[in-house]
Order: sequence, then structure tokens, then C-alpha cells
Amino acid sequence: MNFRVITNNPKVYRVYAKTCLVEYQKVSYQEVLLQVRHYVQQGCRILSHPLSGSVKPGEMPYKSIMISSQAAGVVDMESELLIEQCLAVCNSFSDAGRRWPACVLDDFQYIDYTLIASAVESARSLG
Amino acid sequence: MKLEMGYFNIRDVVFGTGSKLDSGVLTIDRAALERLVLEDESIKSVVVDIARPGESVRITPVKDVIEPRTKVAGKGGIFPGVISNVETAGSGTTYALKGMAVVTAGRIVGFQEGIIDMTGPGAQYTPFSRLINVCMVCEPVESAERHVYEKAVRMAGLRAAAYIGSLAKDAVPDEIKVFETLPLMEGKAAFPNLPRVAYVQMLQSQGLLHDTYVYGVDVKRIVPTLLYPTELMDGAVISGNCVSACDKNTTYHHLNNPVVADLYEAHGKTLNFTGVIITNENVYLADKQRSSDWTAKLCKMLDLDGVIISQEGFGNPDTDLIMNCKKIEAEGIKTVIITDEYAGRDGKSQSLADSDPAATAVVTGGNANQVVLLPKLDKVIGTLDYVTKIAGGNENSIREEGIIEVELQVFTGATNELGFNTLSAR
Repeated sequence: MNFRVITNNPKVYRVYAKTCLVEYQKVSYQEVLLQVRHYVQQGCRILSHPLSGSVKPGEMPYKSIMISSQAAGVVDMESELLIEQCLAVCNSFSDAGRRWPACVLDDFQYIDYTLIASAVESARSLG
Repeated sequence: MKLEMGYFNIRDVVFGTGSKLDSGVLTIDRAALERLVLEDESIKSVVVDIARPGESVRITPVKDVIEPRTKVAGKGGIFPGVISNVETAGSGTTYALKGMAVVTAGRIVGFQEGIIDMTGPGAQYTPFSRLINVCMVCEPVESAERHVYEKAVRMAGLRAAAYIGSLAKDAVPDEIKVFETLPLMEGKAAFPNLPRVAYVQMLQSQGLLHDTYVYGVDVKRIVPTLLYPTELMDGAVISGNCVSACDKNTTYHHLNNPVVADLYEAHGKTLNFTGVIITNENVYLADKQRSSDWTAKLCKMLDLDGVIISQEGFGNPDTDLIMNCKKIEAEGIKTVIITDEYAGRDGKSQSLADSDPAATAVVTGGNANQVVLLPKLDKVIGTLDYVTKIAGGNENSIREEGIIEVELQVFTGATNELGFNTLSAR
């Protein structure tokens, strides 16, 4: 396995925990991005777009991002630039203190899962 | 490839016994249309209604908007690979029913989706308020998974549009227009002194409910490829995109792509409209690199002078847009990009998630965060249950007397990134 999924989505963890390297934490959307930045600064590359999906930060509570499982000796500057851009965009959206009913949270988990699933499918087909 | 388009101006749509088109008045046998929708076992029930411009009606949550069309001569059929067989379309004769649309609505997921207001301040933000809309609110069977339900509603809308379109088959259109794109070398010989311009259309392809299909193929599985522009007019590309109402391309947009229309208008006069390159917007970064590399490669192979690039969506697609732009510019080909903006309610935030100095010519569809107040309307087709949850709405959205405060992004097609809508700073 040459990738790791950073996620706050319990559905992604349930589906992939046994077949992929998944790091699940019950944190915010923004904190998932910050965790990815931490890994990038350790030398990991980002493999899936951090702002995947058309549901905007501030609305979507879940985020799953694929990064390389191995850290290189140097920081990948494209990944660093990408995560900084995405954090800036994320910070420009307010969540307005939304509280979502359970059925909607379930839909959000499903959407986020389908987005990372398409990345997992691409990663596996490329080997 | 040459396509003759016959246009029928629809003056009214009514329910009656026996579906027919007569002198611009479309009669729909409601029971027959309902049976057509209910052919899919995933759909438990459907309510068919008609909304006309100016009526106090709010349609929500909208999934897709589709213009009825039918093929009367030539190869292939409407919505090839999906409703018709997969034979290459885009030549011969096609009829379109103008001034009306089929609108599908229903709860795919408990957030998002779009609003079409037929009157009031909301109506000016969606182009579909100006059409007579045959609305189909579809309810799934309880056991239907969300992606199964999405497909069922997508297919029901296409079946309905093809059924209604077929009513024009033996009638005489009000107007005929001919569109033709010559093969590459013939085109170059015909217009030796005109700049060669192509259209790069980026298609939403991030995952389930964010998908687009070309000849029935999920676009996330394609590599960039070439189409004749007329193939789009026969429905070669259809929408499976349920998310981000304001800037998703409905099937209606694909059939009536304004970039294609304007390039054809200039074709042979100020430029040589060479063709359409379709590409995707996958979430996996290696897919993005491959697709943008190949798009730039195809532009170079076509010996282009200029390219117009349109995107679909926000965030992730911004990266594809900029990758396409800078790689095509690096080949010495001028680009113009079409996008929209999420610049905050005050319009002061960064509009796009990516940028590059090569992107020197940008057309915007508007700021999706702009706030709009909507009055209560007399009738709702669908349900308001999701207005507090859709993009741009929140739990404080519904105020006293039913006034709703929303962002522009709730309106279907409001900031469309093909430039279909009419928002302007002027």
C-alpha cells in the first residue's frame, strides 16, 4: 500500500480500515487539512485534491484526503502550495454554527466516501 | 459533420387526453408520462406538474433540466449510449422544443440541490424561470440506495424528454439552422487565414452524484478526447451531477452550450471553430496531470491558435482549470477561461482556489455567495424541507412571513460557468 487516507469520516474508516492505511480522527474539516499539512511538511505528497467535492467547506463536515504513505527526505513544494491554498479557501468559509440532523450527516458521509473512493480506485489501478 | 436543427417555439403546455404537438401547444397525457417514469422499479411515485413563467411557483430541489429533442434523420439518436444506441450522433436532422423543459426534482441527498422560482426576485437569477417547465417530482422506493435513485431520476428525465421530443417528429419546425464543422484538413483549407479556435469543456467527474456521461461512459474514466460540436446538440454529454446548483451544467446546458453557439456564430467569419475537446475533473492528482497534459497535447496536435476553457464546479476543478490553462498557454496557444466565484458575501475573499500568471483572460459567471431575499410564493413543486440545508441556506434561512435568505448558489444555473446565465456587472 503506497497511500494513506487522512479522514474524519467514520464511514470511510469503516469501509477502508481493513484494506487501506486509514488515519481516522474525530476532528473538524479544517483540522483534517491541518493534519495533511503536517504530513506534507514531513515529506509526504498529496495524492487527492483536498477540496474534492462541490459541497463547500462550512457546509460539509467531513473530509478525506489521500497522501503518500512514505515521507521523502524533502518537502514536496507542489503539495505544500496546494494545501496552503486549500487552507486559505477553507478559512474563508464560515460554518455559521450549523447543526445537521443525523440523516443529513449520513448523506454527507456518503458523499465524502464516494469522492475518496474514486481516488482509491484510481490509485489502485495505477498500482 | 453537419447537423440541421429544427426549432419549435412552444407557446403553452397543457395536460389532456393523448399527447400531441399542435400549433405550438404541447398536450401531455399525464398518465402516459407517469407510466414512463414509473417503468423504473426504483421510483415509487411521481407527481407531474406544469410551471409557467410568471406564476407564483417555486420548484425545489431541482436535479436536472432537459430540453425535449428528437432525431428525425441521420445516424444515431438523442442521448446516444443512454436512451438511443451508442452510434455516433451529431449529423442529419434534429428537432428541439424551445421555450420549455423537463425538470426533475426529488430528494437525492438531504442537502444541496437547486431552486427555480418562476416569479419574483429569484426568477431573474435562474434562466429556467423563462421556460414552461414540465416538473416531475420523483420519490424513491424505500430500499433504493442514493446512487440507484439518482440514476433512476436521471434516466426518467431523459426518457420523458425523448418522449416529449418525439411528439414533434412529423411536424414542421418554426425555424431551421444548420451547423457544420469540416474535417481538420478541409477546415484549414476552407479558412486558411482565420485563427483556429477550439473549445475545451471540462466535465464534472469527481465521484457519485458529481458525474457526467459521454455516450453513456462515466467521464471520470475517459482521457481527453475530441467531439464535433454538433454531437453535444444531440445529447452526447448528459448530466449526472446533483451537487452545486448554481454552477453545475444541467443536460439543458450541454444541449444548448453557449460557447458552442457563439463559436459557431463566429465560425468562418472571424475564426475557424475547429472542434471540442472534452476532459474531466477527477480528484486523484495523477489523473489531473494526465488529463491536462493530454488536453494541451491535443490542442497542439490540432495546430490551434486559441482555446476557450470552461470549468464545472468549485475548488477541486479550479486546479484542473489552471493546469489546463497554463499547459495550453505553454504550447503557445492563447486561452480564455470561464469560471465563477466564491468570493464571500462581501465579495472580498479570494475567488478561486488556484491561480497562475498565464491566466490573463478570465470570464466570470458571478459571485455565488451573493445574498438574496426571496418572498414566499403561493405554490411549491417539490418540498421546502431542504431549503435550510441546501448550499447557501442555513437554519435561519426561513424568516417571518416565509421570506427566505439564501446565497445565489441555491439557484439552478445562477453562476453557470459556460456563461449561460446573464449576470453582469454592467
